[in-house]
Amino acid sequence: MFSLSLCFQVDNSSLTGESEPQSRSPDNTHDNPLETRNVAFFSTNCVEGTARGIVICTGDHTVMGRIATLTSGLETGKTPIAKEIEHFIHIITGVAVFLGVTFFILAIVLGYSWLEAVIFLIGIIVANVPEGLLATVTVCLTLTAKRMAKKNCLVKNLEAVETLGSTSTICSDKTGTLTQNRMTVAHMWFDNQIHEADTTEDQSGASFDKSSVTWLSLARVAGLCNRAQFKAGQDALPILKRDVAGDASESALLKCIELCCGSVRANRDRNKKVAEIPFNSTNKYQLSIHETEDTNDNRYLLVMKGAPERILDCCSTIMVQGKEQPMDEELKESFQNAYMELGGLGERVLGFCHTMLAEDQYPKGFAFDTDDVNFQTDQLCFIGLMSMIDPPRAAVPDAVGKCRSAGIKVIMVTGDHPITAKAIAKGVGIISEGNETVEDIAARLNIPVSQVNPRDAKACVIHGTDLKDLSQDQMDDILRNHTEIVFARTSPQQKLIIVEGCQRLGAIVAVTGDGVNDSPALKKADIGVAMGISGSDVSKQAADMILLDDNFASIVTGVEEGRLIFDNLKKSIAYTLTSNIPEITPFLLFICANIPLPLGTITILCIDLGTDMVPAISLAYETAESDIMKRQPRNPFRDKLVNERLISIAYGQIGMIQAVAGFFAYFVILAENGFLPSKLVGIRLNWDDRSVNDLEDSYGQQWTYEQRKIVEFTCHTAFFVSIVVVQWADVIICKTRRNSVFQQGMRNKILIFGLFEETALAAFLSYCPGMDVALRMYPLKPSWWFCAFPYSFLIFVYDEVRKLLLRRNPGGWVERETYY
Amino acid sequence: MDLVTLVVFGSWLAPALASAENADKDYDSPFEYDYESLRIGGLVFAVVLFVLGIVLIVTKKCSCSSDKPRPKAPDEETAVPIAQ
Repeated sequence: MFSLSLCFQVDNSSLTGESEPQSRSPDNTHDNPLETRNVAFFSTNCVEGTARGIVICTGDHTVMGRIATLTSGLETGKTPIAKEIEHFIHIITGVAVFLGVTFFILAIVLGYSWLEAVIFLIGIIVANVPEGLLATVTVCLTLTAKRMAKKNCLVKNLEAVETLGSTSTICSDKTGTLTQNRMTVAHMWFDNQIHEADTTEDQSGASFDKSSVTWLSLARVAGLCNRAQFKAGQDALPILKRDVAGDASESALLKCIELCCGSVRANRDRNKKVAEIPFNSTNKYQLSIHETEDTNDNRYLLVMKGAPERILDCCSTIMVQGKEQPMDEELKESFQNAYMELGGLGERVLGFCHTMLAEDQYPKGFAFDTDDVNFQTDQLCFIGLMSMIDPPRAAVPDAVGKCRSAGIKVIMVTGDHPITAKAIAKGVGIISEGNETVEDIAARLNIPVSQVNPRDAKACVIHGTDLKDLSQDQMDDILRNHTEIVFARTSPQQKLIIVEGCQRLGAIVAVTGDGVNDSPALKKADIGVAMGISGSDVSKQAADMILLDDNFASIVTGVEEGRLIFDNLKKSIAYTLTSNIPEITPFLLFICANIPLPLGTITILCIDLGTDMVPAISLAYETAESDIMKRQPRNPFRDKLVNERLISIAYGQIGMIQAVAGFFAYFVILAENGFLPSKLVGIRLNWDDRSVNDLEDSYGQQWTYEQRKIVEFTCHTAFFVSIVVVQWADVIICKTRRNSVFQQGMRNKILIFGLFEETALAAFLSYCPGMDVALRMYPLKPSWWFCAFPYSFLIFVYDEVRKLLLRRNPGGWVERETYY
Repeated sequence: MDLVTLVVFGSWLAPALASAENADKDYDSPFEYDYESLRIGGLVFAVVLFVLGIVLIVTKKCSCSSDKPRPKAPDEETAVPIAQ
């Protein structure tokens, strides 16, 4: 808090997002500590002047400290994908427990002892667990994170990779995120018309006509009446990248003049400064007196710049096309119109004027006194206006457009003024052409604001002070009914409230920001995105994703990759779950029909952790089936990762066909060995009995325990190989959910690799010498490999027909029941 | 009972042991299978598939880039970062 100050200015951009320096004085102008002029804040920078004050808060009680406490006190909720996986786990557990308990009761009914029944229960529940799924999901997310890192999107939290894909609302900070955070000259008014300057980062925009003499005078005043300077040793750097010592507006003017008219320093050296009155808030202008470069002319040049109305008051003439004309009402009115227009664009406007001091009154060597002004400061010649704005980043309008066509709502939340915020929102596309706020409608129809029907306004701009008075219902109302919203003058606490409001409505919220004032919102959001280069360390710490090149367009990449990995995870889970049925059913039939065990535990693990891994992971490399950026964001309550339709396909349809394939191979082998199927039912007790060494088969041959077990393990191996064969077809049909495989193509090389490796592993496990001792897997006769082929083909045909029906009848029964 | 079983066994085995090799072969040949060649054939098959898969992955890196020239999207040009 200040007791005295002298031209003191602070840059509050790290706290509130205002790009221009604010002047401070000892007067208490406002009740709100953020608005009042006699308080300065911890962690903001002083850019000019001197002041003396007393400290009123330290540490955690400062505004910055309160933000820090707020941020660290927030607990981050579960990511959407974590919620989906939890839901999926509930479904699987439900099925497992149901099956387990059913067969427990069945076992008791069939006469098994309690202990055996309990062992069956545990066995069934464990067999239901897809062991390889955790690794698969992690690898899929990691692959996506790596892809995003190549596009300069650093993801700190692996699950956040998918969150952008589910995002339905983006709350974006303005300064530094949507804008470049540097004041740039945008418009000039001279010769009675508004000219546009080039505000792009790389000078690729249109240039204006520089031939007018008025422009040369304007440029001269702007260059001379300016205390900003380039720092030393930067001649090699492009002008826009150089560091400037001086305040933001003067730096903007300096860079603009340097770009258009050449070295300002040379110009200043030619017109040496004799006296100056720096800017102060009472006068609202800045003035300096120079010697002209024309050595024959001994007159002094007086140049002045400042607030447009003050400058106009000091002027009696105006320069048009290089010639001085007396100021008349018409010119004054066009000046007013220009000023209103530029101000309405949210730009900061400055006026410029000059005069040549008469030689007789002010001869060479005249002692100009700046404290007690002894020279004329009126009857000057008005030259023109220049206005400045913090321009949007180049890639932002395009990115905002893409997000909106993907169905994502983009909201601006900033600490800056409403007019500037609205202008930037219009420039960026957050408020689109043709959409008006209630104030716009009132102005257009010339009626008071209260008479405007709020339903007509699709856009709205809300001030932070109004936000304080809103109840939760009113806030929900605003968020629901308006498609284009700008919140201005918001404090960090209010940014948090806005994010919470959106989340209450069921939206998944992404927050982008770069400053300390964004960190509570960044942490609370479902995904926080921070700027990597210009962002503060606090915001990078609070965020889940960092844009390493500050390119807002990377968010579009994030959305695309997130949606793609969600779809691919569905396919991967469907593939992995399908093999559960051919793994469980042998055990069930073993209990109920008392046949020798068709599939052992080791072979189950060989499937889940061995052959199924690579194909499941390869599904993460699938390309998108249709244009994913044209879809609406998924509804987190209705569109789940794993739903009943997926389970019905995996367990109920494809899984059953696979189980039949396995049993077919099992019965064929036993029949070829002499045990016809009819003989097998009920044989279990004798089969597993070590003491029975003369078990008779259908042909009367007698089998020792060891011989029987070799046949049994050969059956396990064959069942395993049959599952591998049918999983070939499964991975091909799981590639697509709607398109035919012929439409999608087999461009996924990793998938083909997976097919080869899966088969190679199966062959290796079967034929490698020593496997019979190690894993009890036996070599298979070649004909037995072909047992499962017809079923594999059947799976392929079945699913292609299903997808064909799905495509032909959108919205029909097939889609409702089987499209996952 | 055991004696009877032993006699039956002996009578079953004896002709088999006592008879000439040809007869053995005739009776037992359907029960013999060349597992060694099967194993070698199977292992060769496994190795071939494995190598084929690796080759497919390695050449993926070269052929994929020439196969589909990636269209340069206009929004992919990175914005010049502002150093301040």
